[in-house]
Amino acid sequence: MEKIFEIVLQGLSMGSIYALLALGFVLIFKSTGVINFAQGELSMVGAFICYTFATVLHFPYLLAFLMTLVLGAVLGAVVDVVFFRRMVGEHLFSTIMVTVGLASILTCIAGILWGHDVYAIRSPFTDRTVRLGNIVLSQGGLYTIGVSILLLGLFVFFFNRSLLGIAMRGTAEDSDTAGLMGINVKKIHMAAWSIGALVAAVAGVFLAELSFVRLTMSHTGVKAMAAAILGGMQSIGGAIIGGAIIGVVESFAANYLSGTEMGNFHFGDIKDVAAFAIMIVVLMIRPHGIFGKEKVERL
Amino acid sequence: MARKFKTSYQEDLALFQNLWVKAWLAILVALLMLCPQVLSRYQLSILNEMGIAAIGALGLNLLTGYTGQISLGHGAFVAIGAYTSALLTGRLDVPFWVSLPLSGLMAAGLGMIVGIPSLRLKGLYLALGTLAFGFIVEYILFHWGLTQGDMGMAVKRISLFHFTVRTEEQFFYLIVVFAVLAAIVAKNIARSKIGRAFVAIRDRDIAAEAMGISLAKYKVMAFAISSFYAGIAGCLTAHYQKWIVPGSFDIALSIAYIAMIILGGLGSILGSILGAILITGIPHGIVYLSDFFKQHFPSLSGLIVDFKLGIFGLIIVLTLLFEPHGLFGIYRRVKVYWKTWPYKY
Repeated sequence: MEKIFEIVLQGLSMGSIYALLALGFVLIFKSTGVINFAQGELSMVGAFICYTFATVLHFPYLLAFLMTLVLGAVLGAVVDVVFFRRMVGEHLFSTIMVTVGLASILTCIAGILWGHDVYAIRSPFTDRTVRLGNIVLSQGGLYTIGVSILLLGLFVFFFNRSLLGIAMRGTAEDSDTAGLMGINVKKIHMAAWSIGALVAAVAGVFLAELSFVRLTMSHTGVKAMAAAILGGMQSIGGAIIGGAIIGVVESFAANYLSGTEMGNFHFGDIKDVAAFAIMIVVLMIRPHGIFGKEKVERL
Repeated sequence: MARKFKTSYQEDLALFQNLWVKAWLAILVALLMLCPQVLSRYQLSILNEMGIAAIGALGLNLLTGYTGQISLGHGAFVAIGAYTSALLTGRLDVPFWVSLPLSGLMAAGLGMIVGIPSLRLKGLYLALGTLAFGFIVEYILFHWGLTQGDMGMAVKRISLFHFTVRTEEQFFYLIVVFAVLAAIVAKNIARSKIGRAFVAIRDRDIAAEAMGISLAKYKVMAFAISSFYAGIAGCLTAHYQKWIVPGSFDIALSIAYIAMIILGGLGSILGSILGAILITGIPHGIVYLSDFFKQHFPSLSGLIVDFKLGIFGLIIVLTLLFEPHGLFGIYRRVKVYWKTWPYKY
């Protein structure tokens, strides 16, 4: 029983990172209609920025974290201005492919700047644990869970109560009409990209906390998409729940399936494809996710 | 007038639009036949890679360019073709002329399974589904005892009725034959009823359905044809490289194929081939350039891998931002410009 509890909590701390990434993903999708395949890459760049400030330049951790947030937001704004301002109203295929291209470009630049080595960020939570009865948990994991719950509340409030949030929802619904209503669509898109990239950078820093900083950490972005799909692309709460579900399933798969064999097929790192398997099943059974609504199309 | 108006369906459906096209194609084939006499082995090996890539790109363009179904898992179908043929010829001693169509059919069968969700899924969801499929195929190849994981598999040489294909030159003729066949079949699919149904689905699937086109049939068919091409390309890759590892069929390969059809021109046979030639040629160009720069900046040599993916990404982005119709669009524009010069229209 305790083991199961521990696995669930481990899964939740990983899941909240997926949830954070999925949150940024849903945020950008909700307000600009762009499906950002470069979300994982943005988080990877965020983690590398934090690593540069905290470990290479010896800034205090909190300051490095804040710098990461600022630079992450700036990166998002730059991406919007350079790539997506021209793409407004383009075909879905083109926008998806531009983000795929952007992902390759970001990986290339990060590879040149930071190389293919594995780094670690030293933070106040490193190697600290919390004991709950017989269960030992890392502080970093708990902080990640806490921060994602906090951000969830913040964003739900933001989208339902603040003027900017409502303007973002309106822009997502129909950017032409939103423009006619006096909303500055360009500004809204830029804000969405900034916030989305900022959330991705936060997720990257927390992910670095649980594992390491390296180029391949951007693969987490695809799993986050699985989380967003599971929750329904339109829903912030769905993104969080989707992330949690995928994290927990992965955690169970890692604990009970890894290392086992079936015939001459050994499962190995099954945890890495569990998310994709879930995603395919969800896409087949309920493509619009748990909280998503089916869009009615008009000719 | 710049464009000649077509006055009958026969003209619109013609395989070769006019005499000039036929003449140029004949010259091209003659030049291709001359290549082995003129080029070095290294240059021939580049042409061979280009030919295989062209087959795969034609398949992806039929699916993405003509039917409008996004696939981020084309590399996985290439892998399925490669491993099917490697296992069939290696373990079961099946001759190449049987294993080639079987590897295509195997990929096509799996492609149809991936294609079934496309009846419900569109755009984004399909892109994610195919992406996940790609990751799962890579995972299975890594962990299945039969495929020997990242140790890789040795693949037998191609032998056709007691004749074994050994040299680059012989491979060149073989690949050219298949590439030309692939292009002709693709052109025939595109110009006939099936291709028109594909285009109708791409332009507006609901309207297409209302016009009496069976979405289920044609979408699954597009997936099957596209994966069949990928399987053939994979089978040829396997026998050409003689050694295959799962890592070479990852998401980077799928992105390279997407870069080919976007750069070449979506929904264009000529474009797929042009794109395949350029995208395959670029890494060799980078290697050539970096050899040149290495003498001055020795630290650059380790960065080639990074540059390759980054340049593919940049090509995708720049093409979509500035020239959405790709090279084929540029070609058409230049042609119209010269035909109407000095007038604009």
